Amino acid sequence: MRATVGDRIVIRGHVVGEPDRDGEVLEVRGADGGPPFLVRWGDDGHVGLLYPGSDAEIQHFEHAGTKAGTTTGGTP
Amino acid sequence: MRTIDAVRRSGIGIESDRTVREAAALMDTTGVGSLVVLDGGRLAGIVTDRDLVRRALGAGLPSDARVDSVMSTPVLTIDADADLRDAFSRFREHAVRRLAVVRDGELVGMIAVDDLLIDLSADLADLVRPVTAETIFGQRDSEVPATTGD
Repeated sequence: MRATVGDRIVIRGHVVGEPDRDGEVLEVRGADGGPPFLVRWGDDGHVGLLYPGSDAEIQHFEHAGTKAGTTTGGTP
Repeated sequence: MRTIDAVRRSGIGIESDRTVREAAALMDTTGVGSLVVLDGGRLAGIVTDRDLVRRALGAGLPSDARVDSVMSTPVLTIDADADLRDAFSRFREHAVRRLAVVRDGELVGMIAVDDLLIDLSADLADLVRPVTAETIFGQRDSEVPATTGD
C-alpha cells in the first residue's frame, strides 16, 4: 500500500454499527511511498502513525499530472 | 499461512514523547484499545486502555505525563513471514493478547488473539455446517450415476 501526502485514509468499521474512521496523510515515513503514514484523524486533529491492515483504504486525490483512485489495504 | 496474511486491523502508533491524554484521545478517535509506542521510529512498547486506567488514572499521574511512562515493555514480536502456527505458539507461551509483526526489524502491523479467534470460529462454523445438517436432516445417499442399459 502506498500513499502520498494529502491522501485520505479510511479505516472501515469492524463490527455492525461501528463508524468508519478517516484521516489525512501528513507524512509518508516508509520507503517508496509505503507505511507507516503519519495521519491526522477525524475532526479533532489527533495525530498518529498508521500501519495499515486489510481494513484500510487509501483514497488518492488528483495531483498535478495524476488521476484520482482508491487503494485498499493489503498484505504488506 | 503467513502471519502477515492474518493481520486484519490496522495498527496505530504514537510517539513516545506524547502525553497520556493524547494517547487516550487517539484511541477514542481511531477506535482502538491499544497503541504502539515508537521512539524515533523504533518499536519501544505498547500502551493499552488498561494501562491508561491502571498506571495513569489509577496512579494519579497528570494527564500530560509521557505515554512511555505507562507503556508495557518489551513487546513480543513475530516475523511477518513466519507461519501462523508460530504466532499461536507465541500466544500459548506468553500471557499476551497482541504481537507486533515485524519485517527486517521494522514494525509492519499488529496481530491480536481476538482476530485469530474470529478466523478460527469462522473456519469451525464452515466445518460444522454439513455435520449439523446431517444430524438434523439425516444422511443423504449419494446420487446413483445415470447409466444407459443395453
